[in-house]
Amino acid sequence: MPAPVISPAEKAYIQDGVAHDCRADGRSRLEYRHLVLESGLLSQAGGSARCRLGETDVLVGVKVEIGEVEPDKPNVGRILCNVECAPSASQQFEGRGADDLNNTLTQALDRIYNGPQGGFDLEKLCIIPGQSCWLIYIDAMVMDYAGNLFDTIVMTTRAALQDTRIPKTEVQDLGDGEFEFDVVDDVEEAEPLEGWDDSPVVVTLYKIGERYIVDPTMLEELCAQVILSVGVNKHGQLCGTQKSGLGSLEPSLLSDMIQTATQLALPLIDKLDTKLHDDYEKELDKRRKGEHVEKMGFFAAVI
Amino acid sequence: MDRRRVNGPETSVTPIFKSSTKATILNGSSKRIDNRSADDLRPLFLKTGLVTQANGSAYIEMGKIKIVCAVYGPRQLKRVGFSSQGTLTCDFKFSSFSCVQRRNHMRDPQEREYSTILVQALTPAVRLELIPKSAVDIYINVLESDGDNACLAAAIIVASVALADAGIEMLDQVTACSALMQEKMLLMDGTMEEEDQTDGSVMVSYMPSLNEVTSVLQTGKTNLDEVNHAMESCIDGCSKLYGVMSASLIESLQ
Repeated sequence: MPAPVISPAEKAYIQDGVAHDCRADGRSRLEYRHLVLESGLLSQAGGSARCRLGETDVLVGVKVEIGEVEPDKPNVGRILCNVECAPSASQQFEGRGADDLNNTLTQALDRIYNGPQGGFDLEKLCIIPGQSCWLIYIDAMVMDYAGNLFDTIVMTTRAALQDTRIPKTEVQDLGDGEFEFDVVDDVEEAEPLEGWDDSPVVVTLYKIGERYIVDPTMLEELCAQVILSVGVNKHGQLCGTQKSGLGSLEPSLLSDMIQTATQLALPLIDKLDTKLHDDYEKELDKRRKGEHVEKMGFFAAVI
Repeated sequence: MDRRRVNGPETSVTPIFKSSTKATILNGSSKRIDNRSADDLRPLFLKTGLVTQANGSAYIEMGKIKIVCAVYGPRQLKRVGFSSQGTLTCDFKFSSFSCVQRRNHMRDPQEREYSTILVQALTPAVRLELIPKSAVDIYINVLESDGDNACLAAAIIVASVALADAGIEMLDQVTACSALMQEKMLLMDGTMEEEDQTDGSVMVSYMPSLNEVTSVLQTGKTNLDEVNHAMESCIDGCSKLYGVMSASLIESLQ
């Protein structure tokens, strides 16, 4: 099935709404939809999180595996991202329909996390220099596509990385420059991923008419001429900016949009971090008291 | 397994050279490795008409970067169906020998992403509404690469000139420029050696007559004001390149 289409009448309605700061669902231009975020859902993953922003649903699983170092970077571990849109997420994803979108999202996610802007201390992920290192596989699965996909994926990934625990390793020096290591089995001794809170969050702005909005629905996304994704970390630094869409914009509007994205990102990071921190504390507390920890589960977020 | 080609062994690696001291990208007298100053762009060579079979073609050389672009169109859409506007597609390919590490014959994710970026950068300039039911295909072949961002910028420039050479109606030429950022330093049009040693980069494509930006790509961790300054410098660089592009097109008419 081809990509969804939108009628000119509907497009005009949405454009007028955006111009008057009152969108089809009553939100203002820079208002987000209802957000549900939960981490620690999957037992087989090193870390996991699920986020539902409006109706867009993304599940991220992080697996930590041991692999060989790259020959030209012998002292660092690696982060490998992959995004997959489930064929069930939208009618346009059947068969190979999601291929292009998967590739675009994977490359964009890789741009955010691969490098110093990702915030991680990759040297800490090295087990034996020149030999073995931790590979962090980030796999994002889109379960429901209702607009604003990339922002949701990055938010969920951030929560999943906060939830990730890396097992402790004990390195033994066999002498003669030979090393061997053992992975400690104890779950309690696993360490969190250092630098996850320095990782960025992405705010994507969609230009409709002469104004721009944040967090669009499916129909609003179809009206957007220019799409600007801006990655911002908690220090207010830009960690990756990309323009997509088939339109163009004036340089002054471009700087304005980047500025707005930064201003929206900082309180968003703050709220997300506070929530993740509070949830984690509550869970630890319950475990200490021996109480049953109940997860919301996959259907609880569907309002 | 690719049965159409002669495959070598399954894994082979590029040799890693025992590195001598890396040349500093900006030495004491503010000169870069290739003796440019921080805001000098590499010298540009553009010529149209390289591929005789194509409706339009162009060749660009920017320092060591060499790219050939061929444009076929407007021609019939391969898919059945009606579209009220023309379709612009791009096939971006690095030749196997163009980069330090040998590239596969199959299109890898980076090439597919660059193809998409190229379409998004050029579409605002092309008058697609004048060619319904038609397709314009742009084929980019990178013969030698020297810096990913600079390569992408050069590809946008050569594609724009090739489109004009093909006689496809456009609203404006699309120029592009890239820059590298490291702490307080801004290096315009960075080479691969400089790219390896810096964290941040910016690539901007711009239509000078309409004063509109058609593509922005920023990577690395940078402060907001540094990025704004880099984008402004890139737009200035774009305006400088516009003159060379127009000159090469006028020359092709003579």
